[in-house]
Amino acid sequence: MNSNIRARNKNSYDAIVVGTGISGGWAAKELTEKGLNTLVLERGRDVKHVDDYPTMLKDPWELPNNDRLSAEELKDYEKQNRTGYTVRESTKHWWVKDTDQPYEEVKPFNWIRGYHVGGRSIMWGRQSYRLSPMDFEANAKDGIGVDWPIRYSDLEDWYSYVERFAGISGRAEGLTQLPDSVFQPPMDLNCLEEHFKESIKERFDRMLTIGRVANLTEPKDGRGLCMHRNLCIRGCPYGGYFSSNASTLPAAAATGNMTLRPHSIVNSVLYDEETGKASGVEVIDSETGEMIEYYSKIIFLNASTVNTTLIMLNSRSNRFPNGLGNDSEELGHNMMDHHLSVGASGQFDGFKDKYYWGRRPNGFYIPRYRNLSDNNRDYIRGFGYQGGGSRESWVSAVRELAVGRQLKEFVQTPGTWTLGMGGFGETLPDHSNRMYLDFYKTDKWGQPTVVFDCELKENELLMRRDMMNDAAEMLEASGFKNISTYDSQPPPGHGIHEMGTARMGRDPKTSVLNGWNQIHSVKNVFVTDGSCMTSSACQNPSLTYMALTARAANFATEELKKGNL
Amino acid sequence: MKRREAIKRTAAIMGGVIFAPSILGVLKGCTATGDSWNPVLFNREQASLTKVLSETILPETDTAGAIEVGVPGFIEKMVNEVYSEEQRIGFLDGLDLFNSDCLNATGNDFADLSTDEKLEYAIEKNSVAVSNETPGAPNFFLLFKELTMVGYFTSEVGATQVLRYEPVPGFYDGCMPFEEVGRTWAT
Repeated sequence: MNSNIRARNKNSYDAIVVGTGISGGWAAKELTEKGLNTLVLERGRDVKHVDDYPTMLKDPWELPNNDRLSAEELKDYEKQNRTGYTVRESTKHWWVKDTDQPYEEVKPFNWIRGYHVGGRSIMWGRQSYRLSPMDFEANAKDGIGVDWPIRYSDLEDWYSYVERFAGISGRAEGLTQLPDSVFQPPMDLNCLEEHFKESIKERFDRMLTIGRVANLTEPKDGRGLCMHRNLCIRGCPYGGYFSSNASTLPAAAATGNMTLRPHSIVNSVLYDEETGKASGVEVIDSETGEMIEYYSKIIFLNASTVNTTLIMLNSRSNRFPNGLGNDSEELGHNMMDHHLSVGASGQFDGFKDKYYWGRRPNGFYIPRYRNLSDNNRDYIRGFGYQGGGSRESWVSAVRELAVGRQLKEFVQTPGTWTLGMGGFGETLPDHSNRMYLDFYKTDKWGQPTVVFDCELKENELLMRRDMMNDAAEMLEASGFKNISTYDSQPPPGHGIHEMGTARMGRDPKTSVLNGWNQIHSVKNVFVTDGSCMTSSACQNPSLTYMALTARAANFATEELKKGNL
Repeated sequence: MKRREAIKRTAAIMGGVIFAPSILGVLKGCTATGDSWNPVLFNREQASLTKVLSETILPETDTAGAIEVGVPGFIEKMVNEVYSEEQRIGFLDGLDLFNSDCLNATGNDFADLSTDEKLEYAIEKNSVAVSNETPGAPNFFLLFKELTMVGYFTSEVGATQVLRYEPVPGFYDGCMPFEEVGRTWAT
């Protein structure tokens, strides 16, 4: 008994944060800065900022085989490589091996992820956009899913708060459907993008703006400027973009209140039937296989949408036989992603004496323009475009007539200007789009297997026609030639924006979390990663996770002080 | 809507040319393996052809040629390690067929042609390939040319002496006179 009490005391904290990605890093920072003794759990290995970015300074000729993996080695990454761009010699250490971490698909689903401190905040696309008042009201207005329990005004100041710390570069445009952030100076558009911007403003009254991106254009808190190498995915030696490793985790560590424990797979949340609260978490040490319990007053689940949902579904008790907080039976349902890989590109005759300097880790953004004031398409909601212009490189000379000395000379002049763009479309929450667990098929740590059963529905498919044709129409009207459209119809998950499987809502009967991201029925557990999303909007979601996490963490510490948790 | 359909149809035709099947899907980095190449996959004829054909495509000028920067070894390593079994067999067959075609057409192995004849033959092969390429059917000559170019232009010589490479650009200027950059960016 005494040794149990000692073990319990030794393993007790004020707060536990599960996960170290974008939202987990924010939870760690906020809770530790508020003085809470916080245990931060990460299922993968530790990654120290700069020290553990092994390929960050490699020149092209220092990487074997054109940075490609051998066919043999790629067999370990069959699903992770479905994007076509994720797994490279220079980045392979950031992705799980599918052979180690299998999942099942009733219908195809791309679950692309990495297990290490920092999670996907190291490899993310860094595009950072606020949701708008319209987005928080959309479900109620359209009668889709459930209503968000919060409005834009609840999150507005928290967006500003996280933007000031993270550092988002971009241009203020004053759009209702895409509120401005607290911006660092914007990056440049190039000559062709400026032309395209003016053209679609004039002909379609549509806005094109430089991407709003979490890359620094002014130094911030010991982090250096973006050097425009466009090698972000390898980890940045300058701290030029926001990642947990460069930003939130160092801030949390500086408080002296953080205990970071890598190699810690959270198997379940411990639920105390007597208090009606969670008492801690059960951890599997991934190196030793040892099961360890850690205890705390509050718990933040930030393991990423799918893994947070896995933990909750796997936390079964008398009170919650179907998973922690799952009174609504919505846990695991309403899976959303942004549907993409559809758009157009074209060539432009002109600007032949113009070129650019630097590798901008960013492109342009065309904010949503469909269905803004009323629904006048054959689908609801809308999409934004991301794209970029550039001059064709030496690559295009493969299919030119030049050979020999002539080829060497030919490639020294850059080719035609081209511009391409792809839509990012809102996905509606649909109860039938779900993930669940196969408890009979377990991995090497005894964890159940995740099964996906998701597909694009009619609204998304109808939207994709506009996403392709609008792009071609804008290019054509702007003087482009050889316009080419594409719709590669990737499966859900391809956007790597999984969302919605533990949604926020007003009613415990139809949602898992309340307006403060607390589990309705277990108030000391907060879920602030993508699983909390009630609708997807069409904007890249990470900035919203940051704001929701900071808001919930500050609420949690206040409630803790008041003795309400 | 009619205009849109027309654009779509154009795209279906153009798509095959612009996005012809190839390994170019993503282009970044490489290692050319230097001049000390000991073939492990290619036989003597295949290795010899790989050397002379890559050097014909990107010869020594005031900058080094394909052989000196290690392109032949790069090509073999890509084919041996990155290509699938099917692609590998197709490529080896392509090398053999290129040699036998050359013998039939000129009476000589490609390696035995004079420098000018090699260039002339390669230009002809390239021209036929560029105009006849069909989607879904990778053309051997263009595959070989592409591998040669990838190996060469991601080597230090190719990237920094023929093209321009800045490891740390420092900033982005989206619209400047081409003369101020001078050469195509390697990456």
